[in-house]
Amino acid sequence: MRLIQLLAFGLMLSSLSLAQTTVTFWDFFGGGDGVRMKQIVDDFNKSQKDIVVNRTTLTWGAPFYTKIHTSVVAGETPDLITYHLSALPRGLSNKDLRPITAAELKSVGLAASDFQSNIVQEELSIAKQQAGNDQLYAIPLDTHTSVLYYNKNLLKKAGVLGSDGKPMGLDNAADFAKTLLTIKQKANVLPMSFSSAQDSATIWRMWYSLLLQQNGSLAKDGKLSLSDLDTKGKVALQAMVDWSKQGLLSRNTTYPASVALFTSGRAAFMFNGNWEVPTMVDLKKNGKLPFDYGIVSFPKLYANADTWADSHTLAIPNNTKTPMSAAKLQAVLKFVAYVEKTGGLTWAGGGHIPAYLPTQESAAYKQLEPNAEYSATSAADATHEPTVLIFGVGGPVYDAVGNDFTPALLGQVSVDQAIAKFKSTLQSLNTK
Amino acid sequence: MARATGKILSGEPRWRTQGLFRWLTALLMIVGFVLVYFFFLIYPSLRVLQLSFTNADIAGKGVFVGLANYARLLQDPNFWNALWNTLYFILLTVVPNTLLGFIMALLVLRLRRAQKLVLAAFFLPYVLPVSVVTNLWIWLLDQNFGIINYLSQSSIAWFQDPVFAMPAVAFVTIWWTVGFNILLFMAALQNVPRELYEAAQLDGATSTQVFRYITWPMVWPVTSLVLLLQLIAQFKIFDQVYLLTGGGPFDKTMVVLLLLYRSAFQQQQGGYSSTIGVVLLVVILLTSLVQARYSGLGRRTS
Repeated sequence: MRLIQLLAFGLMLSSLSLAQTTVTFWDFFGGGDGVRMKQIVDDFNKSQKDIVVNRTTLTWGAPFYTKIHTSVVAGETPDLITYHLSALPRGLSNKDLRPITAAELKSVGLAASDFQSNIVQEELSIAKQQAGNDQLYAIPLDTHTSVLYYNKNLLKKAGVLGSDGKPMGLDNAADFAKTLLTIKQKANVLPMSFSSAQDSATIWRMWYSLLLQQNGSLAKDGKLSLSDLDTKGKVALQAMVDWSKQGLLSRNTTYPASVALFTSGRAAFMFNGNWEVPTMVDLKKNGKLPFDYGIVSFPKLYANADTWADSHTLAIPNNTKTPMSAAKLQAVLKFVAYVEKTGGLTWAGGGHIPAYLPTQESAAYKQLEPNAEYSATSAADATHEPTVLIFGVGGPVYDAVGNDFTPALLGQVSVDQAIAKFKSTLQSLNTK
Repeated sequence: MARATGKILSGEPRWRTQGLFRWLTALLMIVGFVLVYFFFLIYPSLRVLQLSFTNADIAGKGVFVGLANYARLLQDPNFWNALWNTLYFILLTVVPNTLLGFIMALLVLRLRRAQKLVLAAFFLPYVLPVSVVTNLWIWLLDQNFGIINYLSQSSIAWFQDPVFAMPAVAFVTIWWTVGFNILLFMAALQNVPRELYEAAQLDGATSTQVFRYITWPMVWPVTSLVLLLQLIAQFKIFDQVYLLTGGGPFDKTMVVLLLLYRSAFQQQQGGYSSTIGVVLLVVILLTSLVQARYSGLGRRTS
């Protein structure tokens, strides 16, 4: 009797699992934002019974995109992946992504117009360049950019904290250097921590922002352009080298060390991405942050306030060998809609600026602290990487920056040498 | 057994079936290895050779482009730089690592006490995985907090300095692998017949003479083997550079295999990276042949 009951129960279970659709989801979120993505996935799985999302986190950067490409060629793709906007040109040129039509978006109550328009526009222009059509290949999730974290106690000690609780003297490059020097002399701490060892990404983000702020660029009409390198590029690198030489910027510091220098109260500023917001929030909540902190958008040091930025998106791999079934597609889209609509605020807790406008414009997001301190300005200043194929997160240009600029920051080669080498590296990468 | 039955049942056809049977047995015994060898070495190698004539990306088939990849390789300054760096690394490691192994083996053999303990200490690094070794030395040689810089009062960023990066990588490599050479040399030294030393002593040879005319020539076959193994291993330098310097700074530690890796897995140029692989294989083969010829490896000592 008991055996029959058990069998019946087993049968019931198996029929239940048959009715469920499994969505395989690959992402590259390892830090504070990974915790938030896990929460969104868990909440989604609990919220309904038809779809189960299986999330796997892989290594960030170039390895992730290589893996996606090989999975597409082999026809063994996951159902949904995260994708950087900066990696989209390469992805589309490799035919790694499947377009998502307006009708498909509409079936789960989404539309391209629901998302921050500049991201959508950029995606469409990349699609035109690389795929020769005007389809949407990736659903925008957020914008993330570089910001300045500051230690209010140390700035106050150095006399550079305004009555509004914001740092003073960030008006131009010369002013900024003076402020950093004042901090060094009066507060006797490292003025600004910044990751520069075994990490080309942070160097690239700062240098590229400084280049952009002088109205410089590395691409014109969708093609690589090196004409600004010898002028504005040198000015940008020279500024960083000068700060480094005067001890205003941490030298040869790894990423974790650069964060630790700031969170332990040994650096007045930290130049880093908004993704470190969860670190600060959690430390503060647990009473482990020995000071009051604030966040400002990366300041306008030259002609404009443009700052390096990238966007996370959600995309469907282009599996031509075994195309996705209609039921699977529907399940994937339902999950995407859930991430955008219900998970939006959770995701914003990771410091990112949500791309889904209803979330971005909601009162709840506008009151979210500390995001409110920078998000509006940072969203306006955010400038994406050039859409030339060699650029993009973790790509060859990042390696070139690490290889060519790091020795300049350490004073081992001159700025001229570094820029000349960078120029020839970009040229040789671009001819291939 | 086989021979015995052969004698009793002598006759041509029997012999033939028996030969076949022996063949089958032999085949059965090696079939596992042959299959693995074919599918995981011969076939991929042939595919690499074939890919080197195409413009394939990392996973596609690509189009036949003839010798275009080879022509491009010969004109690629990055390749020549990588080859030069690899040769520089070989210069810094092969002979020093062999010599050091030899000297340390001599020293360890002279120890009267704690010989096993000392040998274990020397051999321990070799047992460690490369990631552990590199992390260890990243800490020890850290510019700001490393104990080496603290003790020597220097402020050199060892792995980030264009001049010191490659020597630092070479040093870590020697520290990591010298234990194996010590073992080989100890075995070789212990195999030198005692009588030779006794005879030399009776003849009144000085210790320099004993070393020069007995120890060195008797150990030479092992020395040349170690040199060859070292040469091949160091040509394939990748792990340490990937983990310690990433090819930087200023491409000073960009070695051939790292260039191949970047080209394949970052820029997704399957064809071109295959070409680098083929050329490296040829270079290693040629150098090994030359070295084997000059060191007398493979020839029997009379």
